[in-house]
Amino acid sequence: MRSAWLAIVSVVVAVGAVVAYALLIRVPLVRNHPGAYVVACALAVALAVLALVRARGRRWPAWIALGLTTLLLAGSGWFNFIAARIPSTPTVVRVGERPPDFTLPDAEGRPVSLADFRGKKPVVLVFYRGYW
Amino acid sequence: MAELQGLGAELSEAEKAGVEIVAVSPDPNERSHKMAEGLHLGYRFVADRDLAVARRYGLVHAHGGPSGEDVPRPATLVLDRDGVVRWLSLSDNFQVRPDPGDVLRAVRAL
Repeated sequence: MRSAWLAIVSVVVAVGAVVAYALLIRVPLVRNHPGAYVVACALAVALAVLALVRARGRRWPAWIALGLTTLLLAGSGWFNFIAARIPSTPTVVRVGERPPDFTLPDAEGRPVSLADFRGKKPVVLVFYRGYW
Repeated sequence: MAELQGLGAELSEAEKAGVEIVAVSPDPNERSHKMAEGLHLGYRFVADRDLAVARRYGLVHAHGGPSGEDVPRPATLVLDRDGVVRWLSLSDNFQVRPDPGDVLRAVRAL
């Protein structure tokens, strides 16, 4: 494959992986394998290096590709392995035990307690951040 | 939010069978409510504004928010009718959420 094409493909792979993750994030298979976008960026860097090695004459497209893909690899790696990490916290809730009861207001301000459902319905309790 | 939407699609039939879905966050905004209404799912969004409940549950990610504020640690619990935890999902990476299929299986196994 010609160097210029390799350079273009490498950037497309890196950018494509990050964009695809963002767009497909609702798909559990995608969301739960965030490492995949880091792997794709690493692959992109390899392609850019290959572009550089194969360059005859103009080398700047390959250098630009290497710069961009390395940047995306560093960024995606940082995000996945550092920024997105949650430090372990001491366990309070455990399978087989009852979690603490609580009373919190719903959208209309009405109080909702976990105890309201006891003896009536199973509950799926989801704690989420409020934004991604 | 992506988790809740995925969950909703899977759990809507379980909802009809009588499972209560309670979503807890420090700041459930109007958009969450409208989305839940639009999906006709009967989620209850409750506000844990000062993270008091998240703290009691040991589910706080200290300084995990974009401005360095404390945020809840994402978690999903399935409680049976006696209020006992039968299934629990926690992750050490906030991008990862339990597969809605797994949650549904846990509910059906009750």
